[in-house]
Formats: sequence, C-alpha cells, structure tokens
Amino acid sequence: MAQTHGVAALPAEPEKATLEGKNKLLAFWTFLGAECVLFGCLFATFMALRNQVPDGPTAQELFDLKTVGWSTFLLLTSSLTSVFAIMNMHKGKHGATQLWLAVTVLLGLGFLILEIDEFTHYVHEGHKFTSSAFGTSFYTLVGCHGAHVTFGIIWITTLILQGFKKGLTVVTAPKYYVAALYWHFVDLVWVFIFTVVYLMGKVGH
Amino acid sequence: MSEHTHEAVSDESKRHKHEGPRNHNLTYIVSALLTIFAFAAVLYGQLDRTFIILFIVVLGLIQAVFQLFFWMHAKEKGHFFPVIGIAFGFFIALTAVAAAVWWMWW
Repeated sequence: MAQTHGVAALPAEPEKATLEGKNKLLAFWTFLGAECVLFGCLFATFMALRNQVPDGPTAQELFDLKTVGWSTFLLLTSSLTSVFAIMNMHKGKHGATQLWLAVTVLLGLGFLILEIDEFTHYVHEGHKFTSSAFGTSFYTLVGCHGAHVTFGIIWITTLILQGFKKGLTVVTAPKYYVAALYWHFVDLVWVFIFTVVYLMGKVGH
Repeated sequence: MSEHTHEAVSDESKRHKHEGPRNHNLTYIVSALLTIFAFAAVLYGQLDRTFIILFIVVLGLIQAVFQLFFWMHAKEKGHFFPVIGIAFGFFIALTAVAAAVWWMWW
C-alpha cells in the first residue's frame, strides 16, 4: 500500500519535477543543437563529394533500396516504442516503461545488424573508406550515425539495468526522458540520411 | 484524504489532455507514409531529376517537423529555449550544407 502510494505520489511530469531534471532537459536540447551542427557538416561534406568516384561502384550501382527500406522501418518503429515508454513513465507504470525501452533496444540492434551486413557487402563490392572521396564521406556520415545508434543501445540498456535497481523516481525519470529524446534525434537524422544519401544516390547525377 | 484523491483525479485528466497515444500514432503513420512516398518517387517516378530531389527533401523536412513537435514534445509548453537551441543548430547545419552545395555544384 505504502509503495503504491509512493508511485502515485510521483508528479505528472517527473522529468521536470526537480531543477536538476529541468536543467538536464535544457542542456540536452542544447547538445542536440550541437549534434545538428556536427551532422550538418558531415552532410555538407557528403553532398560535395558524393559524385567523386574515380573507380569502383557509384551510389546508383551500389545501393539496394530494399535493405534501406527495412532499416528505415526498424528505426522508425523503435522511435515510436520509445514514445510509448515515456507515455507509460508519465502514467507511473515503471514495468511498461522498461519493457518498451527493451523493445526499442531490440529494434535498434536489428537496425545495426542490417547496417553492418550492408557495409560488409559494400566492402566486397570495392566500396571502401579509402577507395574514393564518395567512400570516405559516405562511411564518415553513415558510420557516425551508426555509432550514435550503438551508443544509444548501450545507454538505454544500462538505463534499463539501473531501473531494476532504482525504480522510477524524480532522479531516474529525466534520464529516461533524455534517452528517449536522443533516440528520436537519431531517427530524425536517419530521415535525412535515407533521403540525401540513399534516395538521392539512386536518382544519380 | 478525499482532497488528495480529487487532486490525483484532476491531475490524471490534465495528463490525458496533452498526452494521448493518438498524436504519437498519427506521427508514426504520417512518417511511414512520407517515407513510402519518397521511396516510391525514386523507384517508380518518371519525373524530372531536380523535381524528385526537391520533392524527397521537402518530405523529409515535413517528417522531421512532425517528429520534433509530437515525439520530442517540442510543441508542449516550456519548450521555448529548447526550440531556440535546436533551431539555431539546424540553421548552422543548413548553412553548412548550402555553402558546400553552392561551392561544389555551381
């Protein structure tokens, strides 16, 4: 009874209940602004160099939109499941929060496996980091995004593990919220990657 | 005690007002549709190259706005400074892209 009361006594938006939580949110949005600049520069480099292919396959010959479609589907769905996690957190349902975050991690892992498989395939086709300016800028941009996905998977997994120990409090709530924001941002960057890298690559020049 | 219960109830209704699954599911459907349109335009569209590129970039931007406002809660109150922060980051990013495209393509 006392425990149920403890959960019910959590404020409606536990992530903003403390000054520390509020500061964390604002700082995290600032960080996402900086991430925009980072990815913007990588996109700019890629767009400038994407047709510089002295030898080796071009984007048009290389890309398989079916794989990209599946990757997109996995990441978009994982973004939705992390929204479900935060919705359940706002209702004070800690178990459901953990469960939806676990689903998010699994979908993220699926995306990562597809990407590793795709990169391995490209290397066999002769599209390597050092083979052309297209190769270098491609692996820097898409690899940087893949590294963000990897980091997100590790981060959210450790949050779930910590959640088992600490439960849902005004201290852990901002962590869940900020991790979900990060995951949405990673999905948002992917929208521009499939548009600019894969679809525009398929259109050709 | 009764006052506490009343407070919890009003709290609950307030919560439902600004956060239901409907907007989140809608964002998912809109994102999926925009993605399918973009893929279809490239795969099956017998259109002008410049038009296709502009079309898919605009679809991507619309999707980004939807996800920012609904999934990342940017439309909710108390998000003035976060929106300023992300908008400024986006502005710098777009400037970098525009500069690179302008130098290399024209």
